[in-house]
Amino acid sequence: MQPVNILLVEDDRDLAATLTESFCRQGCAVTWAADGPKGAELAMQGAFEVLILDRMLPGLDGLGVLRRIRQADVRTPVIYLTTMSGINDRVEGLEAGADDYLVKPFAFPELLARVRVLVRREAPAQSALTKISTGELELDLLRRTVRRCGRPITLMPQEFELLEYLARHVNRVVTRAMLLQGVWNIHFDPQTSVIESNISRLRTKLNAGFEQDLIQTVRNVGYKLLAPP
Amino acid sequence: MPPHRLLHTESFRLAAVFALLYLSFAIVLMIAVYWIVAHAQRSALLDSVSADIGTIQNGYRGEGISEAIEVIEQRLGPAARAGGAQPDEYIILQDATGRPLAGNLPPQPRTLGVALLVPAAANPGTASDTPGSYPRLLGQGVLIGDGAYLFVGRDMQIMAAVKTRLLQAFAWITLGAVAMAFLGGILSSLRYMKRIDEIARTCHAIMEGRYSERIALGGSGDELDRLGNAINRMLDRIAALMENLRQVSSDIAHDLRTPLTRLRYRLERAQASRTVEEYAQEISGAVEDADQTLSIFSALLRISQIESNAQARAMAEYSLSNQLRKLIEIYLPVAEDEGHTLSADIASNIRIHGDQELLLQLFVNLLENAIRHTGPAIPVHVTLERVDRMVRVAISDHGAGIPEAEREKVLRRFYRLSSSRSTPGTGLGLALVNAIAQLHEAELRLLDNQPGLRVELMLRGL
Repeated sequence: MQPVNILLVEDDRDLAATLTESFCRQGCAVTWAADGPKGAELAMQGAFEVLILDRMLPGLDGLGVLRRIRQADVRTPVIYLTTMSGINDRVEGLEAGADDYLVKPFAFPELLARVRVLVRREAPAQSALTKISTGELELDLLRRTVRRCGRPITLMPQEFELLEYLARHVNRVVTRAMLLQGVWNIHFDPQTSVIESNISRLRTKLNAGFEQDLIQTVRNVGYKLLAPP
Repeated sequence: MPPHRLLHTESFRLAAVFALLYLSFAIVLMIAVYWIVAHAQRSALLDSVSADIGTIQNGYRGEGISEAIEVIEQRLGPAARAGGAQPDEYIILQDATGRPLAGNLPPQPRTLGVALLVPAAANPGTASDTPGSYPRLLGQGVLIGDGAYLFVGRDMQIMAAVKTRLLQAFAWITLGAVAMAFLGGILSSLRYMKRIDEIARTCHAIMEGRYSERIALGGSGDELDRLGNAINRMLDRIAALMENLRQVSSDIAHDLRTPLTRLRYRLERAQASRTVEEYAQEISGAVEDADQTLSIFSALLRISQIESNAQARAMAEYSLSNQLRKLIEIYLPVAEDEGHTLSADIASNIRIHGDQELLLQLFVNLLENAIRHTGPAIPVHVTLERVDRMVRVAISDHGAGIPEAEREKVLRRFYRLSSSRSTPGTGLGLALVNAIAQLHEAELRLLDNQPGLRVELMLRGL
């Protein structure tokens, strides 16, 4: 996997140590700042690909750091860490210029998946796309149609949304939470297997008549849309 | 009660202010009355003087100066002539040379018209038989034929006496009224202070931990009763909230013990496991238990946040029809996988004002309840329709339903039907639904679907 240069701004020493170790195992380089002003200073030197920013920080809180670096025109993608008690923190964070958020406590694979997606997103601007091609699949975003190896596949609107999200993050792991938030704007944990059921329908439709399963299940984490060369 | 406290009560101050106001009003009134009375007296006096002059002039015109003298003599009467008691009428008629012809005054300088006269003392050798000093007189001087001068006047002392009596009466009445105002002020202050002290006493009792104390009401429904009543209701509300909090805390303690105990048990088993597979299985079970504990926490925090602050949420206008259609589409596969049938009847173009994210959670919770707690192969139906100015969302199933006696209770935190205890859940889903409904001032109804449950949400439409 591609190594990522991460700045972690987090005042909890234990959490920071655990995260640093976990990221290092994934081949990422982590720089740790324990307070807001230090974090902002490092972020503005601009050598990082992703910033992981805690909301509660000594000196200058996460929101303050975020505003300061965005004002200084630092475009580094930011993952904003909030706590369960702050429903509104997410909105504040996103409004202040965060690219993604994660509610503490979280599983490491969730954070890793989001970091990888953000690093990827840095490359081309995707919003202007009208077509996405991922190997065998071809999505027409205007007509909302899908073809696999030229053969049309009929999808329900929400199935298309799901596929579009997967296709935008092709060859990347997307977690259940990312799908829920990104596709359906569901910011809580449903009690049923809504993702699994929908993925299963999508998978059946995509794979009908083909050998290879395009949607890979990553156990305990999420899914990955494969683009075979 | 110390007097300085009394002086500082609002009602005493009010009484003092009113007494002062009354006093100044009385003074103004007195000045007005005094002036009116003085004026009336003066004109009455001058009228009678004019009448006397008229009579004397008539006498003169009829039969000459001797008749005028005769009239004056009669007018003054024997008492005046005898020089006994102080008369109240004074007359002088003098000829052109100033010689007195009749009357009870010494000769006077000729002043014509209305005049205030301080008569000169009697000169020796005059015809006057009056004593040596005279009061101040108000009267009128006229010339009557042949240069004779007539002055008729009245003692001003009489007027002054009336005025003095008037002033005295006023002073007494005012004094009495002011005294009564102060007395009333003191009495009502005492009463007021007693009741305020009662309120303060209750507050102190509450501060000392006797939470059941309430303010005793006078029963008259006056402003202090209303205040006391409002405070009592506030105390009731606080007591209810505290009870609720106490309940929730003990519920949390109880409901978290189960997953935490299970977590501990799993970790123990992981410690004791002999194979890597066993170990991995126990650990993943432990993660699930931890996740459940966390989801209870986050649901609780969400509920209390929704209940505690409404204004910070993002309320906006949006299409409920689209939201529900999308939701049904997402949940169709879930229902199918569980063996249920999900159908919907969604009216188009229904827009509402609300928090899209929270209402989505509300509908998800209701739909998931219908799918999860109903038993096998149950039809679930969702409708959206307009009812007058309201919008009704109904989610009905033909499952086991909720017994009528428990329909209110299921909205409480951690309340779980005995039938649903076996299925996983936080026991907070409906409490969250209720909190979100209340935030939107929407009516939430749990009805009998015969059989099954029908949940209706009545929202304000646009």
